[in-house]
Amino acid sequence: MAQRAVWLISHEPGTPLCGTVRFSRRYPTVEKRARVFNGASYVPIPEDGPFLKALLFELRLLDDDKDFVESRDSCSRINKTSIYGLLIGGEELWPVVAFLKNDIIYACVPLVEQTLSPRPPLISVSGVSQGFEFLFGIQDFLYSGQKNDSELNTKLSQLPDLLLQACPFGTLLDANLKNSLDNTNFASVTQPQKQPAWKTGTYKGKPQVSISITEKVKSMQYDKQGIADTWQVVGTVTCKCDLEGIMPNVTISLNLPTNGSPLQDILVHPCVTSLDSAILTSSSIDAMDDSAFSGPYKFPLTPPLESFNLCYYTSQVPVPPILGFYQMKEEEVQLRITINLKLHESVKNNFEFCEAHIPFYNRGPITHLEYKTSFGQLEVFREKSLLIWIIGQKFPKSMEISLSGTVTFGAKSHEKQPFDPICIGETAYLKLHFRILDYTLTGCYADQHSVQVFASGKPKISAHRKLISSDYYIWNSKAPAPVTYGSLLL
Amino acid sequence: MGPLSRDAWAQRLGAFRASPSAFMAGPEGEDLGRDLLGDLRSEKLSEQTKVSLLALSLEYPAQLWPDVSAAEVAATSLLDTLVLLPPRPSALRRPLLLAATTALAAGGALGPTSGASCRLLPLLLGLAAGSDLGRGFVPASEQRPLQATACECLRELESCKPGLLGGSLGLLRGLLGQEGPVQPLSLLLALALRNTLVLQSRVGAGLGGLLTDKVSPTGGGPWDWTLVEEGDGRLQPQAPSWPAAEEGEGERSLTAREHSPEEARELRAAVIQLLDTSYLLTPVAQAQLLWLLGWALRGLQGQPPALFKPQLVRLLGTAQLTLLHAVLALKAAFGEALFTAQDEALLLRRLTLAAQHPALPPPTHLFYLHCLLSFPENWPLGPEGEEAAPLLLGPQLCRGLLPSLLHDPMALLARLHLLCLLCAEDEEEEKGHLPSPRHYLEELLAGLRQRAALDEGPRALATVCFQASYLVTRCLAGQPTVLTPLIHGLAQLYRVRPMLASHFVDFLDQVDSELREPLKVVLRQEVVSRPGRDEALCWHLKMLAKVADGDAQSATLNFLQAAAAHCMNWDLQQGLLRVCRALLRAGVRGGLVDLLQVLARQLEDPDGRDHARLYYILLAHLAGPKLGVALGPSLAPPALASSLVAENQGFVAALMVQEAPALVRLSVGSHGVKGPLPVLKLQPEALEPIYSLELRFRVEGQLYAPLQAVHVPCLCPGRPARPLLLPLQPRCPAPARLDVHALYTTSTGLTCHAHLPPLFVNFADLFLPFPKPPEGAGLGFFEELWDSCLPEGAESCVWCPLGPQGLEGLVSHHLEPFVVVAQPPTSYYVAIHLPPNSKLLLRLEAALADGVPVALRTDDWAVLPLAGDYLRGLAAAL
Repeated sequence: MAQRAVWLISHEPGTPLCGTVRFSRRYPTVEKRARVFNGASYVPIPEDGPFLKALLFELRLLDDDKDFVESRDSCSRINKTSIYGLLIGGEELWPVVAFLKNDIIYACVPLVEQTLSPRPPLISVSGVSQGFEFLFGIQDFLYSGQKNDSELNTKLSQLPDLLLQACPFGTLLDANLKNSLDNTNFASVTQPQKQPAWKTGTYKGKPQVSISITEKVKSMQYDKQGIADTWQVVGTVTCKCDLEGIMPNVTISLNLPTNGSPLQDILVHPCVTSLDSAILTSSSIDAMDDSAFSGPYKFPLTPPLESFNLCYYTSQVPVPPILGFYQMKEEEVQLRITINLKLHESVKNNFEFCEAHIPFYNRGPITHLEYKTSFGQLEVFREKSLLIWIIGQKFPKSMEISLSGTVTFGAKSHEKQPFDPICIGETAYLKLHFRILDYTLTGCYADQHSVQVFASGKPKISAHRKLISSDYYIWNSKAPAPVTYGSLLL
Repeated sequence: MGPLSRDAWAQRLGAFRASPSAFMAGPEGEDLGRDLLGDLRSEKLSEQTKVSLLALSLEYPAQLWPDVSAAEVAATSLLDTLVLLPPRPSALRRPLLLAATTALAAGGALGPTSGASCRLLPLLLGLAAGSDLGRGFVPASEQRPLQATACECLRELESCKPGLLGGSLGLLRGLLGQEGPVQPLSLLLALALRNTLVLQSRVGAGLGGLLTDKVSPTGGGPWDWTLVEEGDGRLQPQAPSWPAAEEGEGERSLTAREHSPEEARELRAAVIQLLDTSYLLTPVAQAQLLWLLGWALRGLQGQPPALFKPQLVRLLGTAQLTLLHAVLALKAAFGEALFTAQDEALLLRRLTLAAQHPALPPPTHLFYLHCLLSFPENWPLGPEGEEAAPLLLGPQLCRGLLPSLLHDPMALLARLHLLCLLCAEDEEEEKGHLPSPRHYLEELLAGLRQRAALDEGPRALATVCFQASYLVTRCLAGQPTVLTPLIHGLAQLYRVRPMLASHFVDFLDQVDSELREPLKVVLRQEVVSRPGRDEALCWHLKMLAKVADGDAQSATLNFLQAAAAHCMNWDLQQGLLRVCRALLRAGVRGGLVDLLQVLARQLEDPDGRDHARLYYILLAHLAGPKLGVALGPSLAPPALASSLVAENQGFVAALMVQEAPALVRLSVGSHGVKGPLPVLKLQPEALEPIYSLELRFRVEGQLYAPLQAVHVPCLCPGRPARPLLLPLQPRCPAPARLDVHALYTTSTGLTCHAHLPPLFVNFADLFLPFPKPPEGAGLGFFEELWDSCLPEGAESCVWCPLGPQGLEGLVSHHLEPFVVVAQPPTSYYVAIHLPPNSKLLLRLEAALADGVPVALRTDDWAVLPLAGDYLRGLAAAL
């Protein structure tokens, strides 16, 4: 399992080539093996120029999508994974692992240790998952704490040296490139025996453990007969353990209050040493019942030096935090809208912020607006055809607020107003954005007593919680809306 | 030339990287490799610049030092530079080691006759062992990092020359037990162990004391290359792809050779040692270790897969792609021996969950979804190699994995595939509590068509709509309840947005006639029921050229007549003529004569008029079949000048045979034993539609009589083709390699010639049964054959290892058709006829738990080694 080459390409729409190769690295010893293993089906790694062109074409990132091109648009060319075959000089280079994130295309070509004709199934190619992990690792490194282009450039310039550590011969040794950075910086520290490879040094200082739980809640609300509203909580628990010793043992527990919603679909960090079977099997796939495991969720682990995501979970809380409806009707030249939002009484009524974004797609700019609101202020972005209802820090005592009004639009001009393939005609949504600090919807918490440390010195424990909205949609109930299979389950 | 400055080098490296081939072709290309080596010793350049020079040599050794001798010289020079470094910390030691390793391995210089190899190997092993290399060669602060680097270099060399470290296993194991860096040593030991197991089993040797021998193999003497030479320097897949391993190509896979109890114990101890410390490795390294060890132990007796069990729960809990993938590899390698039905269900659930977990990125979801549909089940039901929903993955588990319009195209198509599989499974039965997947599918397709119909929508929206429709027709062919609404939906889409005509034409080309014919009819109706003068006329003509045929002639001709008056420009006229041409080919005569006459007078463009007249003359003078030939091959697009010239070029191209890359693949299918000759079953697969395919075979070494060519009228990608039968006439009973050429016509009418990868005829492919003796006479018949072999023939006894299914399983799987006398489960007499006129007789009796002694006789001594290899490979191939 090894990689033949890796590339980072910035996507630059509007420029002649539509992109630039920002970084590339080839692995000639792996290439030599590829030539032998692939035999007659071997296709060499191309130079950067042709690779760039072929990849952008395949990913539909060239600006020339006006005409039908069979080798790209044919109905039988179906790609169901982020793994492509690129036509270069009449031959097909396969498998190319590639994806676009934040305008950077990450790509690599894993070694396949056999002939490529017929193609082996992807699942049996060990280098594929390694390739993904490699690219994710580079992505994490480039974007952790990065704020602007110059920082990105600095990080890109560090990559050659880092890969000399993390992937000297094409076989990835560590996807966490920050470890390699530390390694280069502290090469002189003599490491004691049995040091984990994922821990590059030891901590010296006051012992402390910090745990923060971030829950994101998503929802799709329709306010319609025959279609169920759906909502889901996704939690991320991030830890930083500053503890002395090579391999301090720590057990972190997450607790739920008596009426808390059980955590499901738990995925843990590889540093967790063992896992209770109840944690492994609690899953959202099963129908919920009262016997569901409700903690405490114990995670024995040996922490790495840096901050890490201890676990991810999902949960099905009994009600959505904000329940609403949105009605929009086209009346001759204007749209009439009515919105109602209700905060559930069990939810902490103390927001960092709370807003409802009401976009109008595929229409012209807003020319006229009349409205009435029971609470909060309305901001109008005429050119963007967008209304933002700023609800603020608290819902009123009644917990219920409403907005109604009429909107008129001017003529459409394609450059400025947003196009959306879903919001056609009266199909429309509003999206809620809110954040509540020191609160989780499931009730999940970690406190002083939930951390056991088997190392010298009593550590200071700090715990944080927050709830954030994410993809919180309320669809116009007067028009068709895209549904998921889940919302048909009544 | 003196050393270059830092800036000059930066400029030179930049120019090289921009396009290595252009740079090497230029004036500076030739000297680059030499200058680089020279300047590494220059005192004027900073270490940083030198590191960047070395980085270049790590990536492009083949360009810098293009042949073996140049690579050897380069490696020697790099080693000299390393030795000459002053005894203080330096950033150059690591990259120099990496560069010397790369130069030797990539340049093909690594070997016993290479001086640089003989210097580098002991140096690396010494560094890896942390031994004192004297003269302050390694400053104390660099010892640890260099130890790890040396391990990595050795691992790369072992990958390129398997067996290189066979003699160092004991040493490496000892180091791992002591203070050595865990990860590099673990990975190095695992790889060396795996390669040694493969190579030793191939020559029938055991591990001997290799695992316990802690003495350095060099011991001051020369490096031990025996094991490398035994392996012929052949590469070993470190993590073989599953089907390849399943086929158990005899010599490649690990044959189940028995190790002595002591060896087995040491091996187990080494594996446990590696697994126990695997937790200290980074997740990606853990995954590598599991792939390596899993495939190393597969089929090895005395090494229970349960060794892996303690690791599994920990691995299943993580979200790491590589770790879960490695667990799947273990699943594929060991199946039920490691995963019970309950374990399998748990693994599937974790995979299902990971394929939709909101905390994971979309590419990961898609890969997991692929893993679900290719899941290595304990007891798979469907055909191998085809994506299918595992048995345990019911609608309940899948419901979070179904598509919706909110997904991006790739996720949508991947999930749509799953939905189609569910629809195909649930046929007519309705699941009471779940909404009907088929109804959901219909709604989804309607939504996709609605999006594709959007005026301003990007082409990608249309593409995904047609891809989804195609996927549905592939998975749910023969289900009118799905296809009928699909056809009408598409017709409606065309009505709303005729500019998608190209997509429709492509769709019609790809789908089966079951859908194509009815869709053609409704699309034709859509076109001809219009007035024929709107701005979409060019699309209508394009569409009509595809769907027009002998049916509904008058409506079609009426439309064309009305349209002719509006075809004012060259494009439209050509479009119109293309439809006429399609009608000509379809054998339409009556009204077409009038239309062509009108066009020949009326069209403004002289080229158009000429064409109309040509078609008119052809129609008036040629009978149907000849007309087909005249209009047949070339549909070359008109060139800028005159379309007559373009068509002429098309004809010329159609008359020449073009050398082309192979658009067809051949794989050898299962072996059947019927008839008087061995027959090779070939499965063809086309990458593009091809016609009149002729496959020509040549036997290398004239082992068989010349083979007949095989003809296939038509092959289309995605449409299953009937297997081709290739009868073999051996001149002697031996495996052979077949050289394959293909001659075919493409859909654009060109005749192409291509060289395909060779095919291999295995020994067992030649087996034929003897005619069945009458009931009860089997034993006498066999004894007669048995006695007839000697004295001219040969006799031998071979130990045939048995897999978990025992003797009975082995016989039923491989030898069933040839069994003459059977007393299951203990004794089988097997008689194999090997054309032209040899026989191979086997007595399989008195099986032990792990193997069976096979007495064999043949009348052809040359068969003996082949038979021996075959029998030894059987258990692994089960």
